[in-house]
Amino acid sequence: MNLMNRKNMQLLSGNHAVSWAARLCRPDVAPLYPITPQTPILEKITEFHAEGLMKTELLTPESEHSAMAACISASLTGARVFTATSSQGLLLQHELLHYATGARAAIVMCNVNRTPASPWGFWPDQLDSLSQRDTGWVQFYSESPQESLDSVIMAFAIAESVGVPTMVCHDAFYVSHSMEPVEIPDQAMVDDFLPKFDPARKLDTAVGASFGAPLDQNTWRRSRMDLAESLAAVTDETIRVGEAWGKLTGRSYGPLERYRCDDAEMVIVTMGSMCGTVRDAVDTMRENGKRVGLLKVRQFRPLPASMLRDALAGVPVVMVLDRNYSPGTGGILHQELKAVLSGMADGPKVHGLLAGIGGANVSSETIDRWVRDYQNAEPKPESQWVE
Amino acid sequence: MREILILGRGGQGAQTAGNLLARAFFEQGSFVQTFATYGGARRGTPVTASLRVDDQPIRQRSNIEHASAMLCFDESLLEPGFLGFARPDTVIVVNTHKPASAFAGLGDYQFFPIDGRSIAQRNDMGKVVNSALLGAFAAKLDQLDIDIVCNVIQDTAPAKKDQNVAACRDAYAMVRNQDAGGQQ
Repeated sequence: MNLMNRKNMQLLSGNHAVSWAARLCRPDVAPLYPITPQTPILEKITEFHAEGLMKTELLTPESEHSAMAACISASLTGARVFTATSSQGLLLQHELLHYATGARAAIVMCNVNRTPASPWGFWPDQLDSLSQRDTGWVQFYSESPQESLDSVIMAFAIAESVGVPTMVCHDAFYVSHSMEPVEIPDQAMVDDFLPKFDPARKLDTAVGASFGAPLDQNTWRRSRMDLAESLAAVTDETIRVGEAWGKLTGRSYGPLERYRCDDAEMVIVTMGSMCGTVRDAVDTMRENGKRVGLLKVRQFRPLPASMLRDALAGVPVVMVLDRNYSPGTGGILHQELKAVLSGMADGPKVHGLLAGIGGANVSSETIDRWVRDYQNAEPKPESQWVE
Repeated sequence: MREILILGRGGQGAQTAGNLLARAFFEQGSFVQTFATYGGARRGTPVTASLRVDDQPIRQRSNIEHASAMLCFDESLLEPGFLGFARPDTVIVVNTHKPASAFAGLGDYQFFPIDGRSIAQRNDMGKVVNSALLGAFAAKLDQLDIDIVCNVIQDTAPAKKDQNVAACRDAYAMVRNQDAGGQQ
């Protein structure tokens, strides 16, 4: 890639790349509440708005909880809705995240992954969004500012076609505050890619119908079965949308990415910013004759179970790097991956490493050392603290 | 790949300096990645801006452990924690009114002292030292065109554009021919 030939290339942080994506998607409503390290997303959107470059109705309510309440109501009127938060803000929204999914509100949110208190911190750690794994929100984990921009645009396509809220997560600092060359897609191309949101059912004062009425047991159960059916369609939709975006931009995405996994004796599985460092480590190890690959989990919810089994069939050893610690359980990706791979005849040995918790630094040299430490070890059921 | 660190205290402009330097390398056609980390999130606490420069896309997303060049906004930050990121051949440009000999006891590094405050004052920049420090740092970074650095400052400075550029060029000229250790 030659930077000089890319006319739409700008130097942007991950957060500002997300603001650009929001601008290109032309949301009707954006309720936002600031929180470190998400605030630059909000700031850039308000700048765009003040300059007349975004026609969005911006709402700045008194908390993240109220912001999400506004997102749900706006979305159910048929508005395209964008919001962004992080850590404590996302945790405050928890009850409404469940509500949004049940109400089938096709909201798109960016969450900047940051340590939840206590103790206080601003560091990259994915526990905030991973602990929303049971809310039904579709979750993507992004590795770079460019991927965050692309993912927000694709998230609108997926959320609005399937009818489920969708979260794009990127790590504090390593992505959110990392300024890099980012290609900004052409507005007309995004307009074609993302037609106007027009759901079949919406709140309308001329129509005597509402959302969220109390249901009897069997109808409530049926609503969950409907939700399950929609979520089951997400993985195919991620593939379809990711390929379509690839045809337009040259950047394709899917639920998973296999990087140099062919003939690998060990595959490292991780999510978010650490994937980039693992790529470097894999290239160095391959140069030294070590058969190591990376499996990047981009879509964590719904978990693409069959794809994960296919991707890891025949791989002797898997090393999961979790940048999260679920107290009392261990690494969440480790836990989920073991469940998905359970019962496979040719399934791998699975090591779970608690790597870079609280933003502790993980360099490619460290990854190389962990590969040497674990390639011949017998896996333990518990995730292991490493540094 | 080149790895560069800028150390400062919240409010001094270290993060801005990192962004401006990244923009200058980007304008020259390089791939760059810069990010700042700040533990205290308040004025006066240490801020680190990290910058990677390469001729291909940068994938690593981790802290810089070995910098080839460092710019230090505040000499009080030159303690073992930060100096641990330097190697003997690392260029360290430090904002101070002291001579390089004052830092000899810290180890075998290539110190280039620059009195950012006096350069800022004589260029009508008051206490704002980052354009002067950027000029001094640019003088010791290979393959960085000072004219591009000045263009970036001209484009992005929110006020006193000409004074910012003058401070940058002033410091650049002072440090350009200075030998390591601060001997003229």
